[in-house]
Amino acid sequence: MESLRMLLSRVASLVRGKSLDAELDDELRSHIELAAEENVKRGMRPDEAREAAVRAFGGVTQTRERYRTQRGVPFFEVLGQDLRQAGRQLKNAPAFTLTVVAILALGIGANTTVFSIVDAVMLRPLPYAHPERLVEVESYSQSLPEGRNVSYPDFFDWRAQNKSFEHLVSYHEVSNTLTGVSRAVHLDGQATSWDLLPMLGVRPELGRGFVASEEKRGSRVILISHAFWQSQFGGDPGAVGRTVHLDGDAYTVIGVMPESFRFPVTEPLTDFWTTLAWDDDPTDVHPAVTNRGMHFLNAMGRLRPGVTVEQADHEIHSIAGALAKQYPKTNTRHSEARVVPELKAMLGDTQLLMLVVLGAVGLVLVIACGNIANLLLTRVRERQREIAMRSALGAGRRRIVRQLLTESVVLSVVGGALGCALAFGAVPAVLGMIGKSVPRAADAGVDLRVLGFALGVTVLSALVFGIVPAMTASKTDLVRVLQQGGPTKVAGRDWLRKVVTVAQVALGIVLTAGAGLLAASFVTLARADKGFNPDHLLTLNFETPDAAYKDTRPQFYRDYFERLRALPGVVAAGGSIVLPMSDDEVTISFENPEKPVDEGSQPSADLTPVTPEYFRTIQTPMVAGRDFSDADNMQAPQVMIINQAFAKQFFPGEDPIGKKLKPGAGNGSKDGPPWRQIVGVVGDVRMSATQREMRPAMYLPVEQMPNWCCVRTVVRTSVPPLSMETPVRQLVTAMDANIPVTEVRTMQDLVSLELSQPRFAMVLLGSFAGLALLLTVVGLYGVMAYSVARQTREIGLRLALGAQRTAVLRMVLRDASMLLAAGIAIGLAGALIAGPVLRAMLYGTGPRNPALLAGVVASVAMAGLLAAFIPAMRAASIDPSRALRTE
Amino acid sequence: MLTFNWCGLYMLIINTWGIMGESKSDVLQGTLDLMVLKTLQSMGELHGYAIARRIEQVSANTLSMNQGTIYPALLRLGQRGWIKASWGTTESKRKAKFYSLTARGRRQIEAETENWERIAATMARFLGADPAHSSR
Repeated sequence: MESLRMLLSRVASLVRGKSLDAELDDELRSHIELAAEENVKRGMRPDEAREAAVRAFGGVTQTRERYRTQRGVPFFEVLGQDLRQAGRQLKNAPAFTLTVVAILALGIGANTTVFSIVDAVMLRPLPYAHPERLVEVESYSQSLPEGRNVSYPDFFDWRAQNKSFEHLVSYHEVSNTLTGVSRAVHLDGQATSWDLLPMLGVRPELGRGFVASEEKRGSRVILISHAFWQSQFGGDPGAVGRTVHLDGDAYTVIGVMPESFRFPVTEPLTDFWTTLAWDDDPTDVHPAVTNRGMHFLNAMGRLRPGVTVEQADHEIHSIAGALAKQYPKTNTRHSEARVVPELKAMLGDTQLLMLVVLGAVGLVLVIACGNIANLLLTRVRERQREIAMRSALGAGRRRIVRQLLTESVVLSVVGGALGCALAFGAVPAVLGMIGKSVPRAADAGVDLRVLGFALGVTVLSALVFGIVPAMTASKTDLVRVLQQGGPTKVAGRDWLRKVVTVAQVALGIVLTAGAGLLAASFVTLARADKGFNPDHLLTLNFETPDAAYKDTRPQFYRDYFERLRALPGVVAAGGSIVLPMSDDEVTISFENPEKPVDEGSQPSADLTPVTPEYFRTIQTPMVAGRDFSDADNMQAPQVMIINQAFAKQFFPGEDPIGKKLKPGAGNGSKDGPPWRQIVGVVGDVRMSATQREMRPAMYLPVEQMPNWCCVRTVVRTSVPPLSMETPVRQLVTAMDANIPVTEVRTMQDLVSLELSQPRFAMVLLGSFAGLALLLTVVGLYGVMAYSVARQTREIGLRLALGAQRTAVLRMVLRDASMLLAAGIAIGLAGALIAGPVLRAMLYGTGPRNPALLAGVVASVAMAGLLAAFIPAMRAASIDPSRALRTE
Repeated sequence: MLTFNWCGLYMLIINTWGIMGESKSDVLQGTLDLMVLKTLQSMGELHGYAIARRIEQVSANTLSMNQGTIYPALLRLGQRGWIKASWGTTESKRKAKFYSLTARGRRQIEAETENWERIAATMARFLGADPAHSSR
């Protein structure tokens, strides 16, 4: 590329301009001297010779000038001029510059922050080979469209019958205790099909992956995480082949995964992976791998090359349909299945949240650009004389547009740089608010991609807010401006300023209405009656592995709770296998002798095994009947408690106490699940802070479910709950040093974590709406102040002719009201249209809340009129004699 | 995926903003360039004054040219990589900048010569077709 080579050479000479100038001077001097020398040889006198040489050369200065033009890059030299000029201009108007830079820094900072999170959550591909071919396969049914897990036999049938997948892999979370090390450690793992790694396209860092035969009963092999390898084996390469004890069973380490490896992506702290042989317990009568009724697996697949999601979806759907016909007892409630792209499945509801936040922050930037464009237009008016002078001196229109655009870009770059600095600070704060509620958000940070985005936004906004004022200014009517000696109307551009203001008001209304809906919804959630008292509650967890506690578990828990209740500071203590606000749930079907139906169509409800005193501890009232007691053991009659929602749904208008049901949960006896008598009814407990309605629930005594592990502890304290952590840990260690205590948290923390996503949405949208309103009000003020300044003479004249000052005040306020009213009308329509987008994120309020909209409109109108009042007052206080003399 | 024509963008910027600042009306420029190249080809390494003198001599002073014009041309050729320059001393022990052809420059002469001959031939045909000439 010839021209590229030339450009490089020219750019290089920019840097060494001075020394090149000196070199040229040397060369030209030597030319003249050589010529003079030759002339002397031809017989001229030295002074004549020199004169002739100079004459033959032509203009030395001219040559030097042309040489320089050829050497340098005029673009950069002009750019340098423009930049210096822009710097001077901006320094001379510090208030203007500061305002614009501040607005931009906020706008770009907010956008960069949000983009960094959206990028980490939604845009980055999954960290596996060809992630676009990875999909999640979900079981669901018409009655439960949000999706369910799959059972092993169903999964095996899917795997054997499909033709769409290269690999289809089941996985589910497991947790257990690592013993045989200095201190027992709690581990989290995943039990998966053998071909997890081939499916993901990942290799172990050390050792090997699973082979197909390792799915068979009795196989005990694990892959460990890099972090686990470092902490337990000190990074020793000899770790491969070693044996570790998990819940008392010996497992062989066959490989170490790379540090960057994560599976599932949402569980970065997974310590190990093992095969599904984990679920093929030889001591279990009916192990999970052969139990078609136990739905607890997730399934992920890699599509064969060329197979689309739709094709795979179609195939798996028909396989699930056939299975439902073949096994109606177990599969009626799991009659459908679907294939969803993995990233989409992982994002779930958060996709809407991300898009809403991204849209909101984009609107803020649009409003900010509108403001700056208006400010620039005002400045153009002040600079008309300067611009006219420049064009009088020969500056072309393009040259002037370029000068003004350079100023915009300079402003924008300064604002953008500050915005990035702001984002650096804001990202960690926002991440703190998100917590774990948004998958992958924790990976967000300001990196090169994000900075690239910020740069793009910066330049784009400079063009957006800079182009119209620059074009307007370049149309300045030179003769009129210079003749009149003062600013004239910027022809025909006033309507533009008004349109910008109306649009700002409208966007401000839309944003504020959205934020208001989320705030109302958050208040509803936070104030909602949870059905228990989360104050002064400590929760914790530990496991009682079968290896040590298969037969003694009930006795152990009885002793434990007795000693726990005796600790000073403890008011009450109980346990439950599923805690509220913990994201856990177990649902199970039950048989009702009064309403016999096919086994496949039995109703189902939440199932929660609890200890005696659990309800007293969390302060959920007994509505009827009695609580469980220590007497409700395996030898006693089998009993259960139901909640009010259950009673209302399944025993409407009847007394449920004394009725018998058969929940399909085994208690370890060979005869299968027993019949249980209802002995009590309790109040409804909100299991998740964001659940929309109370669900029917069945409670069983843990002592009548001795094979179920593990009871989570709840302690009501009279002291600050976390101060009880140490005594409780000491108690557990004293009972068994091999039991590590985990997940020590207060119930208030759990509630707060559950609310973190709605809180994040509310706070972010709230701040954006606030920012938008502020910018809108400032923008309106600017427009009104400008319009008053422009009409000074006219207003002065009116006053001189006897107009009342209040009439002037009314006139200005009326102008402002027109703009406001137009903006509010458009904004209201926008809010009514946009509201339903938020529907899935709203609780306790419809997407078109009239009271809320009225409040938003009232506050925007008030703020707007207030902003217009200051210029209106100024207009009313114009001194007619002075106004008529000026300009 | 979005594919991007970087080369196109580059040319767009160069042309829109007039980065090079070269004027296209300078018709003689190419002529002078070729003269300089030819001179260097036949004479070998020369300093600026000698090149200017040589062009004057060969054109038998029909070309009225300021000697200074040679310097922007020399710079342009250097920027294109067709000639290179180095400081040396003349026979009269004066310091001067000497120019010589590069390999690329040598190749360029052929191309330019061919180009020039084509233009000359075209012009000759136009002039030959002049009715004032043919009627004679």
